[in-house]
Amino acid sequence: MTDSQPPNLLDFIVDRTHAGIFVVNRDMELVLWNQFMEVHSGRKAQTLLGKNLFDAFPELPRKWLARKVENVFILKNFSFTSWEQRPYLFKFPHNRPVTGGVDCMRQDCTLMPVKNTLGDVEYVCFTLFDVTDTSIYQQQLTALTQELREVSNHDGLTQLFNRRYIEETLSKEFKRAQRYSHPLTVILSDIDHFKQVNDTHGHLAGDEVLRIISRRLQSNLRDTDVLGRYGGEEFLIVLPNTGTKGGKVLAERLRHAIESEPVTFGDIHLSINISLGITELREEDSRDYEQLIGEADQALYQSKESGRNQATVFTANNPAN
Amino acid sequence: MSVQPYNEDQTDALQEVANIAMGQAGDSLARILDNFVTLSVPRIRQIAIHELVDTVTTMVGDEEEVSAVRQAFYNSLRGEAIVIFTQSGADELAELLGYDCELDAAIEQELLLEVGNLLVGAILSGISETLGTEVGFSAPSLMAERTPLYQVLAPDQLSWQHALLVEVNFSVEKHRFKSHLLMFMTEETIETLRSILDEFMDDF
Repeated sequence: MTDSQPPNLLDFIVDRTHAGIFVVNRDMELVLWNQFMEVHSGRKAQTLLGKNLFDAFPELPRKWLARKVENVFILKNFSFTSWEQRPYLFKFPHNRPVTGGVDCMRQDCTLMPVKNTLGDVEYVCFTLFDVTDTSIYQQQLTALTQELREVSNHDGLTQLFNRRYIEETLSKEFKRAQRYSHPLTVILSDIDHFKQVNDTHGHLAGDEVLRIISRRLQSNLRDTDVLGRYGGEEFLIVLPNTGTKGGKVLAERLRHAIESEPVTFGDIHLSINISLGITELREEDSRDYEQLIGEADQALYQSKESGRNQATVFTANNPAN
Repeated sequence: MSVQPYNEDQTDALQEVANIAMGQAGDSLARILDNFVTLSVPRIRQIAIHELVDTVTTMVGDEEEVSAVRQAFYNSLRGEAIVIFTQSGADELAELLGYDCELDAAIEQELLLEVGNLLVGAILSGISETLGTEVGFSAPSLMAERTPLYQVLAPDQLSWQHALLVEVNFSVEKHRFKSHLLMFMTEETIETLRSILDEFMDDF
């Protein structure tokens, strides 16, 4: 009977830890391949040691990875890969019954320089972590957050941005325009005689008018314009990088788009018009975005006073103010 | 605990150490990229967090939208480095770093992380090697992409009170690829580094 020898703790831990560990030398030959790597790759260390990593695993992204390893040798510095940009290094199956659409093990890798006594890098040690769970939770969280954001930013009836979101957008654009001295224009619009639609045809008809007008406004905007439902039948449009001249052109286009074609649903045909008020940020006396909304509202009031179905640009010395 | 700024000798020593580190880094980066690489002489400043946005804005320029990578380092030097990229020039760097595929968002991110890691690793390894200390690194992560600078460095988003600002312009021959490096260190580390610098000077 031989005497019991104490186990080599470090060997045991490196081999059995729940992470992939493998080591390559300057010629990319494997000098260590732990149990995690054996189990998931189905390849035993004894068949791999001394072999070139890329010969053994031709499916690895050779050009990129060889370069990365070379960089560790030259810079004597850590290097990393993350599942968020590069889902995996080795295509290993994962152990999750519920996959959330993830087809194989997601991996985070660290490449560490292993220096000899002279301080030169002799090996590069890879550690590979299974982050499949994290990636699935992260994806679920991202999807959910996205969904919540959509819901919380949109108006249920018209699917336009809601008041909170459009004000937030205006507030941001106001700060940006002020900071960089860019122009910014705001349009406030209101459906003329909307109450009559409701009174005559009922609220369901009113809702349908709102939906149709919303779609028509939206389809006549430019890419950078942001439209939101501001109140019952009021719409707010934020026009970054645009002055009142461009704002007036857009307002006329919107007004015409609504006026030129009756709103039709079922066998009801309604002639609908909108009135609009336009104002722009003036560097010398625009305090905050609320002031812009107030001015657009005054200009809108002017449009209503002058007979509706028109667009008015706010002027500070307007006698009506 | 309030932190005394480094005195003139300490700052000089740190500047010297950083110069050596960046010299080595430039050499290694040139070998890696197989191109002539210019690393500017690092400008080092120690600043309090409330000065941060203004100082960095002056450095980077007001108009810019930036991308930023953060990376923690640990051991005798502890803290976090942030690399700010003003122009991505990602397609050119992709080629230099051995990417031969179409550039998509993930690859652009990976490139920023890669270059961030290279720069942080180069300067910190250089400094710690010169000073005879050890330093380890956590994986870098993306802090911001094409975001106005003042949003990236909102003081209430940062948990650090003191920053060692190391301004390094990194450019590759014919390509303009600018980046700035910020190092945030614990107060403890600022003190550790102070005593290491003192010892370092005694050796001369």
